[in-house]
Amino acid sequence: MAPISWHSVDLSLDECIKCNICTSYCPVSAVTDLFPGPKYVGPQAQRFRDPDQATSPDHSVDYCSGCRVCNEVCPTGVKIAELNARARAEIVADKGLPLRNRLLGRNELLGKLGSFAPPLANFGLHNPLSRFLAEKVMRIAREAPLPTWSTTGTFRDWLKRTAKERRKSDKKVVYYHGCATMYYEPFIGKAAVAVMEHNGFEVIVPEQNCCGLPLLSNGEFGAARNYHRGNVGKLAGFARAGLPIVGTSTSCTLTLKEEAPELLDMDDESSVQLKMATWDIFEWLRELHEAGDLRTDFRTVDLKLPYHAPCQMRAHRIGKPALEIMALIPGLEIAESHARCCGIAGTYGYKVEKYQIAMDVGAELFDFVAAQGDGVTYSACDSETCRWQLEHGTDLPSRHPIEILAAAYGLYDLDRRDLILA
Amino acid sequence: MIDLLVLGAGLSGLVAALRAAEEGRRVKVIAKGMGAHHWNAGTIDVLGYLAGDEQPVEAPWTAMARLEDDHPYQLIERDAARAALTWFQTLTARCGLGYAGADGERNMLLPSPAGAWRPVFLAPAAQAGGEADAGRPMLIVGLEGMRDFYPHFIVRNLTAAGQPARAATLPWSVVSAARDRNSVQLAALLDEPAAQQRLVSALKLVAQPGERIGLPAILGLHRHTEVMAALQRELKCPVFEIPTLPPSVPGIRLTTALRHELERRGVRVEVGMEVIGFHAEGDAIQWVETATSARPLRHRAAAYLLATGGVLGGGFSSDPGGRFWETIFDLPLTVPQDRTQWFRPLFLDPQGQPAFRGGVSVDSSFQPVDADGRPVYANLWAAGGALAHADPILERSLEGIAIVTGVAAADAIVRERDFEGVRG
Repeated sequence: MAPISWHSVDLSLDECIKCNICTSYCPVSAVTDLFPGPKYVGPQAQRFRDPDQATSPDHSVDYCSGCRVCNEVCPTGVKIAELNARARAEIVADKGLPLRNRLLGRNELLGKLGSFAPPLANFGLHNPLSRFLAEKVMRIAREAPLPTWSTTGTFRDWLKRTAKERRKSDKKVVYYHGCATMYYEPFIGKAAVAVMEHNGFEVIVPEQNCCGLPLLSNGEFGAARNYHRGNVGKLAGFARAGLPIVGTSTSCTLTLKEEAPELLDMDDESSVQLKMATWDIFEWLRELHEAGDLRTDFRTVDLKLPYHAPCQMRAHRIGKPALEIMALIPGLEIAESHARCCGIAGTYGYKVEKYQIAMDVGAELFDFVAAQGDGVTYSACDSETCRWQLEHGTDLPSRHPIEILAAAYGLYDLDRRDLILA
Repeated sequence: MIDLLVLGAGLSGLVAALRAAEEGRRVKVIAKGMGAHHWNAGTIDVLGYLAGDEQPVEAPWTAMARLEDDHPYQLIERDAARAALTWFQTLTARCGLGYAGADGERNMLLPSPAGAWRPVFLAPAAQAGGEADAGRPMLIVGLEGMRDFYPHFIVRNLTAAGQPARAATLPWSVVSAARDRNSVQLAALLDEPAAQQRLVSALKLVAQPGERIGLPAILGLHRHTEVMAALQRELKCPVFEIPTLPPSVPGIRLTTALRHELERRGVRVEVGMEVIGFHAEGDAIQWVETATSARPLRHRAAAYLLATGGVLGGGFSSDPGGRFWETIFDLPLTVPQDRTQWFRPLFLDPQGQPAFRGGVSVDSSFQPVDADGRPVYANLWAAGGALAHADPILERSLEGIAIVTGVAAADAIVRERDFEGVRG
């Protein structure tokens, strides 16, 4: 186990003025007594955590979902979520990790395994008996919105199949697709590639591995470090060449930019180069637009669209770029969610002891979507697990804003979730 | 490019943003975190005390004449300051959060959570019902085990000050099945009709005819107006709120109402954005930069309003060596740059504390000025807790200064700035 460093958060601890704003906005402590709130498990319990002490004083920190609403509202800049992530890693280092969390942290491995025979894997995972067993044996909630493997091949299969059709250009951009696009939702990658090519770019999709966020949020810092090292090795060269590295999964891009280097103390030159070259796709599209380089040949999209910027997006502190770009689409009527969190928080809501908490947290968002009326056909959100949770909580299909944008360019069918071939 | 970038989402920032948006300007608000009114009582304290005077101010508009010449209130015509507060009252009423005052001239005396009188000019309607009046006895009701709200303690102080009052404590379970809820969480629970019904039933057991019932300010978070109406209807007696220690539900209600109004006008409020740099060419600010998960994000505007507050709001910082600085533009401050001069020996010195009185000096247009009185930047204004020559803690003037100077600065920006010219 690699040592867990506290240097970057220890100083911010002193900034806590005990004002309780974080607890007032914490979506988890609002719905359960099992989590006493960010102030208590964060800056307050931190005073009792001793690097030389074998056991952590407060285990309720495990009920922190890591949504980072506390960081967002804190008036003095305490890194509460990072304190909590480190505290959880200390507990894991101390007590070990249940097999379930070890498994949930390895979505890349699960993605690969299932992709050998997706229909079989989907049946194996999604039939009531196996969900019952998974709950009893693994303590994975049987109702939780687990993804299904793509039955039309992985994203990379599609890239290979369509290699000849892919655009060549002097303007190049690197695409980080992440595990969900690779194995479960290749259509997100297709939409992203179509949008970037439509804007004149050649899209490079280099070898890459899982960003490591599921490991970080389950407290497995050692394994996460290996993943991040892998990505730095595979991607930093593109950063050095001056190419933007663009991702459609807000949590992956947040991890490459900040979570991994911050929590794992990876501030070597290559990690910093990768950090500074990584973009959320809409953050990058917004830059294009501000430079006057974004194509705006949009068709009318007559939709009323409830849009939720996920916690991970807000943690980027870049505003809501998807909202700004989607606002350019004629006909599209966007209703902006101010819900704090959908509840799922990565793998949090999959766990049997946290499933109901996640649903109760999400109620605010589900109610917001329901309040938009009957004419609504989709919700939209930038993060995959949040979309799955939204669909679970609202019975309404959910789309990534890049799918909406690709549809507005006339490149994509929102219903079939596939490209429209010219 | 937008017309106005407001730095800070406290009362002065939100009010200024709304004022400029009402005048058709394109405005954005960015803030490091939530504003300081999450800590305050949600009342609008205009002028409660004068330095060296133990007695509270009765008539703030008259008393203002006794403030020093460089006090922020002295930079504004009295009629304009009054008009700003009237505008605020109209605005909040439209948001469904009515603010009431005595008669437009005098302060009210309202109970604090310690049962001391606070001189307040405008209060949320729910708090205004707690005005000192020996002819109208109070029943102060708390919840058993609620943090920092002790009815018997409040009543002892109120009766000592001549206000007939008695205390009652209800079981915690009337409001919440779970322990360890703060005031905001309790208020959210009371949004539910079932919890209101339980509270009404319990209050009927303790209330006596002729009393007005004072409760901690937890009577609804999002449905406050309905909760107040339901309670008074069912109990057939006046009900009022007493502010709690932080977090402040009335403060959050006010923030929420103002932010709804801003959203309605198309103004984005981005919280979680900390300014870490800026760039000026000549005497004009070109952009400010905020921290993100990677590269700093640039925000450009024709005009910038500093509304970041004082030390507590995060507008100023200090170090043990005696340096005291404004955190964004490093503007000249009037605070003594010598640690031994920050505070007088007595914590509650009737003259206040120099560190709290110091801040950013501005001209009559609310532009920060240097030692020679010249604007530091041509497109920078300041309002609220950052302003020098006032001690809002001693004076009980924090919200009054925030609203009056927020409005005045926004008006000055709208008046003086030829945005169309800047846009080119």
